[in-house]
Amino acid sequence: MMALLAAASKVEFSFVRDHVEVTDSMLSKQVSALEQAGYVKVDKGFVGKRGRTWLSLTKQGRRTFDRHMAALREIANSDGAGVAALRRS
Amino acid sequence: MQFVSEPAPTQRDAQAALAEANNQAGRVRRADHQLGWIVLATAVIYLAVAVVVSTLPDPRQGGPVAGPAILAILLVGLVGLVYVFSRIRAYSRAAISLYFGAIVAFSLWNGIVVGVSIASRWWASGQPGYHFGISAAVAVIPLLVAARLILRR
Repeated sequence: MMALLAAASKVEFSFVRDHVEVTDSMLSKQVSALEQAGYVKVDKGFVGKRGRTWLSLTKQGRRTFDRHMAALREIANSDGAGVAALRRS
Repeated sequence: MQFVSEPAPTQRDAQAALAEANNQAGRVRRADHQLGWIVLATAVIYLAVAVVVSTLPDPRQGGPVAGPAILAILLVGLVGLVYVFSRIRAYSRAAISLYFGAIVAFSLWNGIVVGVSIASRWWASGQPGYHFGISAAVAVIPLLVAARLILRR
Protein backbone atom coordinates (compact mmCIF):
# COMPACT_ATOMS: atom_id res chain seq x y z
CA MET A 1 0.00 0.00 0.00
CA MET A 2 2.82 2.40 0.89
CA ALA A 3 4.49 1.56 -2.45
CA LEU A 4 1.30 2.42 -4.31
CA LEU A 5 0.94 5.73 -2.46
CA ALA A 6 4.63 6.54 -2.85
CA ALA A 7 4.36 6.34 -6.64
CA ALA A 8 1.32 8.62 -6.70
CA SER A 9 0.37 12.14 -5.76
CA LYS A 10 -3.14 11.00 -4.77
CA VAL A 11 -4.90 7.65 -4.93
CA GLU A 12 -8.54 6.88 -4.42
CA PHE A 13 -9.39 4.44 -1.62
CA SER A 14 -11.03 1.93 -4.01
CA PHE A 15 -7.96 1.95 -6.28
CA VAL A 16 -5.76 0.93 -3.34
CA ARG A 17 -8.31 -1.68 -2.21
CA ASP A 18 -8.48 -3.25 -5.69
CA HIS A 19 -4.73 -3.39 -6.21
CA VAL A 20 -3.62 -4.36 -2.72
CA GLU A 21 -6.48 -6.89 -2.70
CA VAL A 22 -7.85 -6.34 0.79
CA THR A 23 -11.35 -5.70 2.08
CA ASP A 24 -12.67 -2.20 2.74
CA SER A 25 -12.57 -2.73 6.50
CA MET A 26 -9.05 -4.12 6.47
CA LEU A 27 -7.82 -1.21 4.39
CA SER A 28 -9.65 1.28 6.62
CA LYS A 29 -7.83 -0.12 9.66
CA GLN A 30 -4.47 0.11 7.92
CA VAL A 31 -5.17 3.63 6.71
CA SER A 32 -6.21 4.71 10.22
CA ALA A 33 -3.05 3.25 11.70
CA LEU A 34 -0.85 4.92 9.09
CA GLU A 35 -2.75 8.19 9.48
CA GLN A 36 -2.20 8.12 13.25
CA ALA A 37 1.48 7.42 12.66
CA GLY A 38 1.59 10.53 10.46
CA TYR A 39 2.45 8.64 7.28
CA VAL A 40 -0.81 8.97 5.35
CA LYS A 41 -3.17 11.90 4.72
CA VAL A 42 -6.88 11.26 4.08
CA ASP A 43 -9.02 13.67 2.03
CA LYS A 44 -12.73 13.18 1.56
CA GLY A 45 -14.67 14.74 -1.29
CA PHE A 46 -17.62 14.29 -3.60
CA VAL A 47 -17.95 13.66 -7.34
CA GLY A 48 -21.63 14.35 -7.99
CA LYS A 49 -23.46 12.56 -5.18
CA ARG A 50 -20.77 9.93 -4.71
CA GLY A 51 -18.39 10.30 -1.82
CA ARG A 52 -14.74 9.69 -2.56
CA THR A 53 -11.79 9.18 -0.25
CA TRP A 54 -8.36 10.14 -1.51
CA LEU A 55 -5.16 8.93 0.12
CA SER A 56 -1.68 10.40 -0.13
CA LEU A 57 1.62 10.08 1.68
CA THR A 58 2.69 12.85 4.03
CA LYS A 59 6.25 14.21 3.80
CA GLN A 60 7.13 12.11 6.82
CA GLY A 61 5.56 9.03 5.24
CA ARG A 62 7.44 9.57 1.99
CA ARG A 63 10.75 10.09 3.82
CA THR A 64 10.23 6.95 5.89
CA PHE A 65 9.23 4.92 2.85
CA ASP A 66 12.27 6.15 0.88
CA ARG A 67 14.57 5.15 3.75
CA HIS A 68 12.89 1.76 3.91
CA MET A 69 13.31 1.24 0.16
CA ALA A 70 16.97 2.29 0.32
CA ALA A 71 17.56 -0.28 3.05
CA LEU A 72 15.76 -2.96 1.04
CA ARG A 73 17.93 -2.15 -1.99
CA GLU A 74 21.02 -2.50 0.17
CA ILE A 75 19.88 -5.92 1.38
CA ALA A 76 18.89 -7.01 -2.12
CA ASN A 77 22.28 -6.02 -3.52
CA SER A 78 24.52 -7.31 -0.74
CA ASP A 79 23.23 -10.23 1.30
CA GLY A 80 22.65 -9.20 4.94
CA ALA A 81 24.68 -5.99 4.76
CA GLY A 82 21.63 -3.74 4.78
CA VAL A 83 19.80 -5.33 7.69
CA ALA A 84 21.14 -2.77 10.16
CA ALA A 85 20.02 0.03 7.82
CA LEU A 86 16.57 -1.50 7.56
CA ARG A 87 16.26 -1.70 11.33
CA ARG A 88 17.15 2.01 11.53
CA SER A 89 14.45 2.86 8.94
CA MET B 1 8.46 0.60 10.22
CA GLN B 2 6.92 -2.81 10.78
CA PHE B 3 10.16 -4.78 10.23
CA VAL B 4 11.67 -3.29 13.40
CA SER B 5 10.03 -5.92 15.59
CA GLU B 6 10.23 -8.69 12.98
CA PRO B 7 13.09 -10.90 11.81
CA ALA B 8 15.31 -9.11 9.30
CA PRO B 9 14.32 -9.84 5.70
CA THR B 10 16.55 -12.04 3.61
CA GLN B 11 18.00 -10.94 0.28
CA ARG B 12 15.18 -12.77 -1.45
CA ASP B 13 12.54 -11.05 0.74
CA ALA B 14 14.06 -7.67 -0.09
CA GLN B 15 14.11 -8.42 -3.81
CA ALA B 16 10.47 -9.54 -3.68
CA ALA B 17 9.49 -6.37 -1.77
CA LEU B 18 11.30 -4.19 -4.32
CA ALA B 19 9.64 -6.03 -7.20
CA GLU B 20 6.24 -5.53 -5.57
CA ALA B 21 6.96 -1.80 -5.08
CA ASN B 22 7.88 -1.54 -8.78
CA ASN B 23 4.70 -3.38 -9.67
CA GLN B 24 2.59 -0.93 -7.66
CA ALA B 25 4.40 2.06 -9.20
CA GLY B 26 3.59 0.62 -12.64
CA ARG B 27 -0.10 0.56 -11.74
CA VAL B 28 -0.02 4.27 -10.92
CA ARG B 29 1.79 5.01 -14.20
CA ARG B 30 -0.93 3.14 -16.09
CA ALA B 31 -3.60 5.13 -14.22
CA ASP B 32 -1.75 8.30 -15.29
CA HIS B 33 -2.55 7.43 -18.90
CA GLN B 34 -6.09 8.73 -18.37
CA LEU B 35 -4.65 12.24 -18.03
CA GLY B 36 -2.76 11.67 -21.28
CA TRP B 37 -5.96 10.64 -23.06
CA ILE B 38 -7.72 13.74 -21.69
CA VAL B 39 -4.99 16.00 -23.11
CA LEU B 40 -5.10 14.15 -26.44
CA ALA B 41 -8.91 14.36 -26.55
CA THR B 42 -8.72 18.12 -25.93
CA ALA B 43 -6.38 18.44 -28.92
CA VAL B 44 -8.69 16.30 -31.08
CA ILE B 45 -11.74 18.42 -30.12
CA TYR B 46 -9.85 21.61 -31.00
CA LEU B 47 -8.74 20.13 -34.34
CA ALA B 48 -12.23 18.81 -35.13
CA VAL B 49 -13.65 22.31 -34.70
CA ALA B 50 -10.83 23.66 -36.87
CA VAL B 51 -11.61 21.12 -39.62
CA VAL B 52 -15.25 22.22 -39.67
CA VAL B 53 -14.24 25.89 -39.87
CA SER B 54 -11.71 25.04 -42.60
CA THR B 55 -14.47 23.74 -44.85
CA LEU B 56 -16.13 27.16 -44.91
CA PRO B 57 -15.37 29.37 -47.91
CA ASP B 58 -15.18 32.34 -45.54
CA PRO B 59 -15.02 31.51 -41.80
CA ARG B 60 -16.28 35.01 -40.95
CA GLN B 61 -19.58 34.30 -42.71
CA GLY B 62 -20.25 31.00 -40.90
CA GLY B 63 -22.61 28.42 -42.42
CA PRO B 64 -25.89 26.61 -41.80
CA VAL B 65 -24.17 23.34 -40.89
CA ALA B 66 -20.95 24.56 -39.32
CA GLY B 67 -22.56 26.19 -36.27
CA PRO B 68 -24.55 23.15 -35.09
CA ALA B 69 -21.63 20.85 -36.00
CA ILE B 70 -19.21 22.84 -33.84
CA LEU B 71 -21.73 22.92 -31.00
CA ALA B 72 -22.18 19.13 -31.23
CA ILE B 73 -18.39 18.54 -31.22
CA LEU B 74 -17.94 20.77 -28.16
CA LEU B 75 -20.88 19.18 -26.32
CA VAL B 76 -19.83 15.57 -26.99
CA GLY B 77 -16.21 16.46 -26.21
CA LEU B 78 -17.11 18.17 -22.94
CA VAL B 79 -19.32 15.28 -21.78
CA GLY B 80 -16.56 12.80 -22.68
CA LEU B 81 -13.90 14.76 -20.83
CA VAL B 82 -16.06 15.14 -17.70
CA TYR B 83 -16.75 11.39 -17.78
CA VAL B 84 -13.05 10.46 -18.03
CA PHE B 85 -12.17 13.02 -15.33
CA SER B 86 -14.74 11.49 -12.98
CA ARG B 87 -13.15 8.04 -13.54
CA ILE B 88 -9.64 9.08 -12.48
CA ARG B 89 -8.67 7.08 -9.39
CA ALA B 90 -4.96 7.76 -9.12
CA TYR B 91 -2.36 10.11 -10.52
CA SER B 92 1.29 10.81 -9.97
CA ARG B 93 2.88 14.17 -9.28
CA ALA B 94 4.73 14.01 -12.64
CA ALA B 95 1.57 13.33 -14.65
CA ILE B 96 -0.54 16.03 -13.00
CA SER B 97 2.33 18.52 -13.44
CA LEU B 98 2.55 17.62 -17.13
CA TYR B 99 -1.23 17.97 -17.43
CA PHE B 100 -1.37 21.47 -15.93
CA GLY B 101 1.85 22.38 -17.75
CA ALA B 102 0.15 21.38 -21.01
CA ILE B 103 -2.85 23.60 -20.27
CA VAL B 104 -0.64 26.61 -19.48
CA ALA B 105 1.65 25.98 -22.48
CA PHE B 106 -1.34 25.53 -24.81
CA SER B 107 -2.99 28.74 -23.56
CA LEU B 108 0.18 30.77 -24.10
CA TRP B 109 1.15 29.15 -27.42
CA ASN B 110 -2.42 29.35 -28.74
CA GLY B 111 -2.49 33.05 -27.84
CA ILE B 112 0.75 33.58 -29.78
CA VAL B 113 -0.55 31.64 -32.80
CA VAL B 114 -3.82 33.62 -32.81
CA GLY B 115 -1.93 36.91 -32.40
CA VAL B 116 0.48 36.15 -35.23
CA SER B 117 -2.37 34.88 -37.46
CA ILE B 118 -4.28 38.14 -37.00
CA ALA B 119 -1.23 40.43 -37.23
CA SER B 120 0.02 38.78 -40.41
CA ARG B 121 -3.48 38.96 -41.96
CA TRP B 122 -3.39 35.13 -42.29
CA TRP B 123 -6.96 35.19 -40.97
CA ALA B 124 -8.00 38.37 -42.74
CA SER B 125 -11.32 38.64 -44.54
CA GLY B 126 -11.17 36.88 -47.90
CA GLN B 127 -8.52 34.38 -46.79
CA PRO B 128 -9.50 30.72 -47.31
CA GLY B 129 -10.91 28.70 -44.40
CA TYR B 130 -8.01 26.25 -44.31
CA HIS B 131 -5.79 29.02 -42.94
CA PHE B 132 -7.70 28.62 -39.68
CA GLY B 133 -7.12 24.86 -39.76
CA ILE B 134 -3.37 25.26 -40.25
CA SER B 135 -3.18 27.72 -37.34
CA ALA B 136 -5.13 25.26 -35.15
CA ALA B 137 -2.79 22.41 -36.12
CA VAL B 138 0.18 24.52 -35.00
CA ALA B 139 -1.62 25.66 -31.83
CA VAL B 140 -2.22 22.12 -30.51
CA ILE B 141 1.47 21.14 -30.62
CA PRO B 142 1.95 21.62 -26.82
CA LEU B 143 -1.07 19.37 -26.14
CA LEU B 144 0.25 16.65 -28.46
CA VAL B 145 3.71 16.80 -26.89
CA ALA B 146 2.27 16.61 -23.35
CA ALA B 147 -0.05 13.74 -24.28
CA ARG B 148 2.87 11.82 -25.74
CA LEU B 149 5.00 12.43 -22.63
CA ILE B 150 2.22 11.25 -20.29
CA LEU B 151 1.25 8.22 -22.38
CA ARG B 152 4.87 7.08 -22.75
CA ARG B 153 5.45 7.07 -18.97
